Amino acid sequence: MDNRLIVSSSPHLRADDSINRIMRDVVIALLPATLAGIYFFRMGAVKVILAAIIAAVVTEAVIQKVRKQPVTINDWSAVVTGLLLAFNIPATAPWWLPVIGSIFAIAIVKHTFGGLGHNFMNPALAARAMLLASWPVPMTNWVTPGADAVSTATPLALISGTEAAGQALPSMVDLLIGNVGGCIGETSAILLILGGVYLIFRGVITPRIPVIYISTVAVLTFVLGGGFSLQYMIYQVLAGGLMLGAFYMATDYASSPVTPKGQVIYALGCGILTSIIRLYGGYPEGVSYSILLMNVAAPLIDKYTSPRVFGEVK
Amino acid sequence: MKIGNTFLRGILYDNPIFIQLLGMCPTLAVTTSAVNGVGMGLATTAVLLGSNVVIAMIKKFIPAKIRIPAYVVVIATFVTVIGLLMKAFVPALDKALGLFIPLIVVNCIILARAEAFASKNSVLLSAVDGIGMGLGFTISLTILGSVREILGAGSIFGKAIFGASYQPALIMILPPGAFLALGCLLALYNWTVSKKANQF
Amino acid sequence: MRDIIRLGLILLLITAVAAAVLAWTNDVTMEPIADQVLQANITARQSVLSDASEFEEMSTDTFAGYANVLEVYKGLKDGQVVGYTIKTNPSGYAGPIEVMIGISVDGVIQGVSVGNHSETPGLGAKASDDQFKNQYNDKKAEGQIDVIKAGTPKDNEIISISGATITSRAVTAGVNAAIQLYNEALK
Repeated sequence: MDNRLIVSSSPHLRADDSINRIMRDVVIALLPATLAGIYFFRMGAVKVILAAIIAAVVTEAVIQKVRKQPVTINDWSAVVTGLLLAFNIPATAPWWLPVIGSIFAIAIVKHTFGGLGHNFMNPALAARAMLLASWPVPMTNWVTPGADAVSTATPLALISGTEAAGQALPSMVDLLIGNVGGCIGETSAILLILGGVYLIFRGVITPRIPVIYISTVAVLTFVLGGGFSLQYMIYQVLAGGLMLGAFYMATDYASSPVTPKGQVIYALGCGILTSIIRLYGGYPEGVSYSILLMNVAAPLIDKYTSPRVFGEVK
Repeated sequence: MKIGNTFLRGILYDNPIFIQLLGMCPTLAVTTSAVNGVGMGLATTAVLLGSNVVIAMIKKFIPAKIRIPAYVVVIATFVTVIGLLMKAFVPALDKALGLFIPLIVVNCIILARAEAFASKNSVLLSAVDGIGMGLGFTISLTILGSVREILGAGSIFGKAIFGASYQPALIMILPPGAFLALGCLLALYNWTVSKKANQF
Repeated sequence: MRDIIRLGLILLLITAVAAAVLAWTNDVTMEPIADQVLQANITARQSVLSDASEFEEMSTDTFAGYANVLEVYKGLKDGQVVGYTIKTNPSGYAGPIEVMIGISVDGVIQGVSVGNHSETPGLGAKASDDQFKNQYNDKKAEGQIDVIKAGTPKDNEIISISGATITSRAVTAGVNAAIQLYNEALK
């Protein structure tokens, strides 16, 4: 009799989701691209990925111990941060580069702002920006895939003509499967899309942000880029970190807007900024900076797009 | 006792940077190396001492209503005179510090001390306060500059301290590094020193 | 009303004293400062043209129509022209870079110095290191100097700063502008 009526505090609506399940799904989605990265960039990729993940998990554990919080390294979130960071680093990087990046991502970007769910920007991307500003030479030391890693430039650098003019552009097929120079996880567009579709299918992310983001870049590069060249547009969409950024970074729960309308604005902003940086900026690649900038704008976007409270009188 | 207390206040418990968060513009902008930190700190100390003494001397003469413009005139005059004299007679020093001299005018520590301390206290105490605050500022800037120089350039006071294989984190001597380093140092300082200060 | 006049007068007195102090300081320091500036300029020009002991500014007509050229000085020794110093400001990665080039009368680059710039510390800022800028020394002032990223430079090539190709190209563009000016207008 006593148990008939259970009075609990809100929220009463509970979803099945747990951090654990979501993060494990993200790891599963990233697995094909991880394997592709290891296949293309061999031991260098293995070294960077392992260093980043181990450093991320250890940092999380140490900080939670110091702050006398429950240690939550079993929830896979540190693994995801480490893996995403490794995806953003070239395979030629020395081992300490991903280690410092992971420590920065977890300790500074995530935990000084309150831990999981409180980070104001994507930890892996913030760490990438920090590493790029600190060690620009090792962070842009691209090599060709395969055993005989020859120094090369990324497809985007080639097409924007800032570097190594004269080197032949890689073919579309190579771009799609990832057989080009670049960071470990950003090169294989098709496998990243595959993982993204899996995440959408599992309900971890909505297609809203990635689809709008990628189409904005496509439209803008088509119109403003090489004079309505379809080939140029496809190139811009497939090359560089756009797929990785759109599916896995821009959709980060804590640092993207909550409302559907806000997410549309946010994704549009990401797309516009990426195109502007790529077409007119000094860098060939602009995905990471545009997502970081829109991360910072997310609270403002939420403020102006949050729906009116039902029954509220103006 | 009062003099010692006033002196320590500036260096530790009311440290202009780590506690009062005053003068952030020169703090963030010039601390790319330890030498710059010392230079900016000492130049500020000199102006702070001078303006504190002068304002403490003429405090009875200045009506409360126009005290702020009067202080600003005194401080600006001091800075300009010191800058011109240095340029003319010690060019070597001017080459090292010349950049910082005009920046001192906009440093709100000086106006803050004139308003909060020198206008209410004796000449002697104001001088001690000026030196204390100035040294507190100098020490903080030097620590900040050293941290940034060690991490961002692999050296301290211009001397390399790591082997050639050390690759410095350039971000630390760029503007974002100033904010990162200051944030971490602030947290560390308030975690240790101010916790002790609050026990008194 | 009386109060406002009183306050105004006090403020006037303070500013008058301040003005007097400043005027006196300015009077005392004006000449030494002018000397220092002159001396500093000569030292700067001698760093790229060490043979000369005096410098004479050339009129702007000499380099009218040359983009990025700021000033040209004739370097003299015992009344004889020994070379020219040319100041250029090519655009680097983060704004203009001040580059001064010294060319002797027999057409050899004597030295290059990099002045004010806002290049990234640790990368483009390395342009003012001897290791980079001394590459220009003793090159013949004819044709153009090219920038290569790696390998052994030929006679008319220099190696760029690692990670700062844009800055390296900019400094070289300044040197090339000076070479062109020298060949077309000064030789």
